Amino acid sequence: MKVKVELYGASRDLSEKNFIEFNFDRKSSIKDLKKKILNYVDSNFKGNDNFKKIIESSAFCSEDDNIVSDNYEISKDQKIGIIPPIGGG
Amino acid sequence: MLHAKVIDLEKEKIKPENAEEFIASSKFGASIVFYGTVRNNNENKKVTGITYDAHDVMVVKSFKEIYSETDQKLNIKDKSVFIEHVKGYVGLGEISIIIAVACPHRAEAYTLSRFIIEEIKKRSPIWKKEHYENEDSEWLKGNPIQAN
Repeated sequence: MKVKVELYGASRDLSEKNFIEFNFDRKSSIKDLKKKILNYVDSNFKGNDNFKKIIESSAFCSEDDNIVSDNYEISKDQKIGIIPPIGGG
Repeated sequence: MLHAKVIDLEKEKIKPENAEEFIASSKFGASIVFYGTVRNNNENKKVTGITYDAHDVMVVKSFKEIYSETDQKLNIKDKSVFIEHVKGYVGLGEISIIIAVACPHRAEAYTLSRFIIEEIKKRSPIWKKEHYENEDSEWLKGNPIQAN
């Protein structure tokens, strides 16, 4: 199944597009998705520490725009938003 | 009464007159309009502008939740609130957020205005990328959002 991770704030620096796509071959969770994104940073940005910190301190939101926990189940194609630490206003 | 919106600067402008018009009512004796604007200095760096990013749906949702909480937490029931935050590039001195409130009395209007901006800072998924005179730019560190 395919997960499209929509990028916001500092995570936008992870790609020139507004998203990154990952494939999962079995039921997974946000925890698994985080690992995939960290591996993506290792492969594409030589393990850039700043990017890793951003991912580790980010929340994630579901397609229905709710913040979800690390155990949130990913069992079908969907969009997940990455929500880095916030600070607008 | 609430108006809550994210203004995409590529499509439209943020207009103070809309805020004043929205909260105008003869039943309210106190109005406060708060403008957040871009200043020219942050942590000894010369700032030339800020690019704001936002998760529009979640931002509006957070504005609605904050508005609703002012009923229970502040016990301010009779009020009019206008909140708009921009996304996109904002130059020095330009407006990034407008919070306009109107209440029957000044004490509750001040409390309401302050409460709303402080909660937005803590909860609304909005991000700032500062641009500097030396042409560098960086995303500002913020506060992590926790899952419930």
